[in-house]
Amino acid sequence: MATLIDNGPKAIDINNLAQDDKVHRSVYTDPAVFALEMERIWEKSWIYVGHESQVKEPGQYYSTTIGRQPVILTRHTDGEIYVLFNRCAHKGAKLVGDECGKAKELRCCYHGWRFHLDGSLLSIPLEQGYDGTDFNRDDPDANVQRVPRYDSYRGFVFASLSAEGPDLVDWLGGVASSIDNMADRAPDGELEITGGVMRYEHDSNWKFFIENLNDLMHPMVTHQSSSLTARVVAKKSLGDQPAPPAIEIISPFTESYSFFDEMGLHAFDHGHGYSGGKTSIHAKYSDVPDYNAAMEKAYGKEKVEEIFAVNRHNTVFYPSATIKGAIQTMRVVKPIAVDKTVIESWTFRLKGAPDELLKRSILYCNLINSSANLVGPDDQEAYRRQQTGLESEGADWVLMHRDHGRDEDLGNGHIYAKGSSDLAFRNQYRAWKRYMSEGAS
Amino acid sequence: MTTDDLLFYHRVSQFLFLEARLLDEQKWEEWNELFTEDGVYWAPASWEQPDPFHHVSLIFEDKLLRDVRIARFKSPAAYSLQPFPRTSHMVSNIMIDNREGDLVTVSSQFQMTEFRRDKPIRYNGAYTHELSESDSGFKMRQKKAILVNCDGTHESSSVYF
Ligand SMILES: [Fe+2]
Repeated sequence: MATLIDNGPKAIDINNLAQDDKVHRSVYTDPAVFALEMERIWEKSWIYVGHESQVKEPGQYYSTTIGRQPVILTRHTDGEIYVLFNRCAHKGAKLVGDECGKAKELRCCYHGWRFHLDGSLLSIPLEQGYDGTDFNRDDPDANVQRVPRYDSYRGFVFASLSAEGPDLVDWLGGVASSIDNMADRAPDGELEITGGVMRYEHDSNWKFFIENLNDLMHPMVTHQSSSLTARVVAKKSLGDQPAPPAIEIISPFTESYSFFDEMGLHAFDHGHGYSGGKTSIHAKYSDVPDYNAAMEKAYGKEKVEEIFAVNRHNTVFYPSATIKGAIQTMRVVKPIAVDKTVIESWTFRLKGAPDELLKRSILYCNLINSSANLVGPDDQEAYRRQQTGLESEGADWVLMHRDHGRDEDLGNGHIYAKGSSDLAFRNQYRAWKRYMSEGAS
Repeated sequence: MTTDDLLFYHRVSQFLFLEARLLDEQKWEEWNELFTEDGVYWAPASWEQPDPFHHVSLIFEDKLLRDVRIARFKSPAAYSLQPFPRTSHMVSNIMIDNREGDLVTVSSQFQMTEFRRDKPIRYNGAYTHELSESDSGFKMRQKKAILVNCDGTHESSSVYF
């Protein structure tokens, strides 16, 4: 079924915006396309909400968004996790105003209606005023509403505003293994969010960011100014002394084309994918001896080798979440407008691992994910120039032909290509097109 | 308060002004020399951040990383810095919090306006300078710049606050 966005004389045929090997510039620039993405992708698909470690104890809550809609992740006194619409059942005021906290109940700032952390109504001031009216406190509508579906996978909580669609595990498919690998890197097998969050505003469309993560043809160009410079400066001041962790982190961004080619790209249904596998730009970090010992004690030598043999770069859980399992960081995508996106950056502690590992993850975030970091501003500059460049009517299409038709089908929906391929983009737009044209979840 | 105290306050203030001025005049190597060999620059990402190791920071840099950032400022491939942003640092409310031997802790407030391409962006916050004094003058053991919106949402920035 063709879908038209009514945009006056320039009505857009959604089915033709994303083709197998190219995509129309309006997917990045047209506010009508953005509005439809909110409706058909962000408010339908599984969207990352938060991590269970953010609401460890009963009464804890964390407020965030799914697409345009405010939601709250809570842990109720029953020990269970809930995802609620952040809207008072009375007159619609956001129930939780701050980002996170701990409370016995959620009390609306306006008329004092109080709710349990599972959303159920607790009390209303002068409740007898409703006696004999059509308002019924036992009606489910009197509660703060739960979002239609939510589930968690090894602590990562996703929610969907659509009542129908695949289960979380089915939807994650082949990229669930990236969460597994990140969690398995903890001797205790569990992750914990720690070290704060950084929010980085991009004046560009959300898709530029999520496409860039597995764009392995850009680092050696875009990151010359930081990565190559770091190599030169470190060489000059350190000579042949071993490089400190910061230099180990920045240097690989300007590895050769053949290095990135070898990292490889893996694509799955629903737009998911990762780069790297056996090796990645995180593969050569120095060992932390106590960590290896703790891992071997927990898992045994053979299993530990198996865990460390998986070395992925970015994994994309399309459209909202991305992790770097090998360095335990996560970036969460918050689309604000067609040309505005906020990227949240989170860090994880590997439970049972020495402090050194967390320090390295924190260092990584400072160097690569902070808004004042050395590497990211040049990525952002590229997105910004795309955003403005694509306003040009000189040409309509954004190209993704590289190695088209040369993908390798590994079975079970797992597709592989060398790192320089445009596979990641084509795969994301395959999902994008399906969501946008069918409203699939 | 003695005349010596006033003179000392004056010298500290002059040092802070010089430090800000070197940034505005883009004399980063000279600025970098104001640090002790193990001196650090720190812009925390939360208000009551106890240390730069267990919590993310906007910037936390030792000499080597400052050398990298400063070299990047001059890289023709630093596309996000073309044209190079101009800054104006204003330092005020200077108070000496502690003085023990050669070690001095100074707190102040700052405003920094960065003009990048088409718009000025304003940053406000507090500085804490951990100085050590020698015959050749003050050196920074740590310059901490904490923005009032340190834990807010930020656009890209590359220059030092
Ligand atoms: Fe990049």
